[in-house]
Amino acid sequence: MHIKFYLNGKVVEADVPAGMNLLEYLRSVSVFSVKRGCDHGECGSCTVLMDDKTRNACLILMGTLDGERIETLEGLNADRRMELMQAAFLDEGAIQCGYCTPAMLLALESLLRANSKPDDAAIKAAFSGIYCRCTGYVKPMVAAKKVVMGEVDG
Amino acid sequence: MKIYQPYGLGDCLDLLSELPQAETVILAGGTDLMPRYEQGKVLPEHLINIKHLADLQGITETENGAEIGGLTTIETLRRSGLIHRDYPALWQSTEQFAGVQIRNRATLAGNIANASPAGDTLSPLYLYHAKLKLMSRHATRTIRLEDFIAGPGETTQERGELIHSIILPRVTGSSCFYKLGLREAMAISVVNYALRYSQSAGELTDLEITAGAVAPTIVFLDALTTAVLSGETNSTVWRALIGQDIAPIDDIRASADYRRKVLGRLITHHLQNLGVVCHE
Ligand SMILES: Cc1cc2nc3c(=O)[nH]c(=O)nc-3n(C[C@H](O)[C@H](O)[C@H](O)COP(=O)(O)OP(=O)(O)OC[C@H]3O[C@@H](n4cnc5c(N)ncnc54)[C@H](O)[C@@H]3O)c2cc1C
Ligand code: FES
Ligand code: FES
Repeated sequence: MHIKFYLNGKVVEADVPAGMNLLEYLRSVSVFSVKRGCDHGECGSCTVLMDDKTRNACLILMGTLDGERIETLEGLNADRRMELMQAAFLDEGAIQCGYCTPAMLLALESLLRANSKPDDAAIKAAFSGIYCRCTGYVKPMVAAKKVVMGEVDG
Repeated sequence: MKIYQPYGLGDCLDLLSELPQAETVILAGGTDLMPRYEQGKVLPEHLINIKHLADLQGITETENGAEIGGLTTIETLRRSGLIHRDYPALWQSTEQFAGVQIRNRATLAGNIANASPAGDTLSPLYLYHAKLKLMSRHATRTIRLEDFIAGPGETTQERGELIHSIILPRVTGSSCFYKLGLREAMAISVVNYALRYSQSAGELTDLEITAGAVAPTIVFLDALTTAVLSGETNSTVWRALIGQDIAPIDDIRASADYRRKVLGRLITHHLQNLGVVCHE
């Protein structure tokens, strides 16, 4: 099946099996920030942004992507706010193995696009669809709050 | 497999009536369908992605209540001031629904058509006596949600039909929803219930309770509510009456016995908090 969509701002045209999911596709083209954990929507490690909102790539069929706008960390690395978020996560030790980190950063990015001053409950809700099995959520929360308060030295 | 992406409702209904029914599936958010496909079930021959149907989007206040387009996502409901104000039990069910990524995709019609006894929006929708507007190329009909859901994963949806919208009548009194999951987020209900009541001079004048994940479909706890309204105060009797309307099962999340006990306790506690006189 031939599809055309936007990945990190660039048009992608691809011939893919219609039953392939976006997670499989992204990893097949070396977009490795998007991780596979469970393959059925539970763990959130395959989070991408679609129209600014977080989605599980493993639940999106390539055949439904025509015209959609997808973003991953690869497209945001040079972004100033993303640099600050990354710095905050590092400063606070909010990363241990790092498997969930791209998803956490995208969740925070999506939240901040909609609301530049989210409260604790909103940050917690944004992280709630992502399983972190080593750091936990306390340090990512602290890091996120530092970003929101503009307290990161990047 | 072929994926269809109709942009107009007419085109979509044409597809639904023309394609062989046994091999055709409607895809909305995909949060129920995709995990099933990932777990090795083959994809259907024809998959109709209805995401682009503008007719099925949005929440409108009507003269008699509200109408919610079938494609409205759980997150959109959660952000709706109208739902928060007029249908708080439904709103609360969206608060505890999965996590944001799933809520951003999961649709209300998908939750209904999936017909899981643990579908979180269902107890509130039953409580509010929701109706569904079903459309096919040949007809449009409006039926009660209770008549649509027939059992776990089973509905009375007819050939070529889709859920166009969910119709909610205006509601009197106060209402709320309670979900017991094994954790706060990303947890399927072990049991849940929705409750609506009116009070006058400290006395209950109206009481209705629906419960989920305790029977093949959502149930109304009518035996209990009738007794409470006519002055029954013995909580052992209350729990026995709840037991009459439910038929829980053992599954990976909890045992039938636990479900029975915990639902009885939760509701007893809730009624006590409302000021209903209760004797142990
Ligand atoms: C990780 C995870 C967590 C979850 N947590 C919860 C939870 O907390 N609570 C809960 O209730 N559910 C939960 N679910 C289940 C699921 O998200 C919901 O049931 C959701 O509402 C389904 O909607 P959808 O649009 O994704 O449906 P889809 O998967 O697209 O479709 C589901 C079914 O509905 C049919 N359908 C969809 N739209 C229509 C329509 N307009 N007309 C007719 N038929 C239609 C489809 O053909 C299919 O049979 C969870 C799922 C996952 C993967
Ligand atoms: S891999 Fe997609 S949610 Fe786990
Ligand atoms: S840092 Fe290891 S899973 Fe979160």
